[in-house]
Amino acid sequence: MTPAGRFLLATLCGLVLAGIVHVAVVLAIPYLSTSDALSRSRATLANDTAVLIHAAEVSGPPEAAEGWLPPQDPATAVGVCAYDLADGPVRISAETGPLFESLSVHGRGGAFYAVTDQAALRGNIELVIMTRRQFDEALANADEDERNRDVRIVAPSREGFVAVRALAALPSQQALANQTARSVSCTIDADE
Amino acid sequence: MLAERLARAPADMAARAAPLRPRLRRGLAWMRRSGLDPRRAGTVGLVVYALGLGAGLGLASANWATRGRYPFGGIALNAWTAWPRIGSRDADPYVRAIHARTGEIPIALGEGLLLTALTDDAGRRLDPSCRYAIAGATPPARAWTLTVERRRRAKAAPEAGGPPPRTGFTSTEILRDRSGRFAIALSPTVQPGNWLPMPAGDGSIRLVLRLYDTPVAASTGVLEREGVPSITREGCP
Repeated sequence: MTPAGRFLLATLCGLVLAGIVHVAVVLAIPYLSTSDALSRSRATLANDTAVLIHAAEVSGPPEAAEGWLPPQDPATAVGVCAYDLADGPVRISAETGPLFESLSVHGRGGAFYAVTDQAALRGNIELVIMTRRQFDEALANADEDERNRDVRIVAPSREGFVAVRALAALPSQQALANQTARSVSCTIDADE
Repeated sequence: MLAERLARAPADMAARAAPLRPRLRRGLAWMRRSGLDPRRAGTVGLVVYALGLGAGLGLASANWATRGRYPFGGIALNAWTAWPRIGSRDADPYVRAIHARTGEIPIALGEGLLLTALTDDAGRRLDPSCRYAIAGATPPARAWTLTVERRRRAKAAPEAGGPPPRTGFTSTEILRDRSGRFAIALSPTVQPGNWLPMPAGDGSIRLVLRLYDTPVAASTGVLEREGVPSITREGCP
């Protein structure tokens, strides 16, 4: 083989190798990253209410918030609340107000459930996030006569977080949006 | 429109690669001088070269593809691109890698829909010195916001008093005409009506339309029927 041919072959091998490295790195990033939302939200695991991570910024200076999100909608306030289902099912309870509000549940593989304040029952959204096993247990122990109004969601993985978005449609609603995003409570459900 | 953009792409690439060429030639000359002529290298040299090329190119391309903006997977609607799958469990690996690197919490499928635009309706890149009109009907959503972003935003001067410059409009506060349509003037200078100041800083301009609680998220066919806001260039200095 001529030297030029050998060089060409080496270049081709290098390009194929580059493709393999590219695919492997892209697939590995979600598992190795420590700056993703799931790892960052772990710090809020002990809190009983959501933590504001992006404050609405439509009038005046924004409130202090843990700002690790990339640029967000300036009109929305975002709160997160991490959960770990190892200790039992987690109850998310939000009181809706006049603002648009949405809750989304994210696991390791991405968002798996979302609900907006239109689904609220008498101004209240109650979600219970559980593993498949906890769901089966709750079904088996359920009282036939008692009606359960909770929305039960089976999570694909044990760890995850709930993100709350509240939209300040007018500049005067900035403080209210932050307050709404912060007021969502997420506690371990003891009685189920 | 597309053909024109495609025809311009190689010229762009060549212009960008031009400053690299003398450096490349100097590198080759240096290799030849130090006895590392790629045409005369031994097997070990070639293997090292292939490994280096693979690792370097692979890492660099992976880094480039996951820097922050979604490379593909969107649905193009005129100048806008809708991203319905970023907030669902069937997001592609690039989207997941980008979210893992940036810490982004995407708008989930049932919450809303994200649309972005980097060009105007004629396919030209948004230019920070130009004046644009963004007009159209209200997309079918309970609420929406339209914001303008810059890749590297200038830090707001601390001594500048008054409220920070506007970065977007919400569907509630925007001024509409009699038929319920709106027109936003995106411009570096003050405009009457819905003026959206061009953000200071450097890097490319991006328009972001977020639809909250929208039936569009399930199928973007609704958006195709009702239309997305048009982006027209109105003049450049």
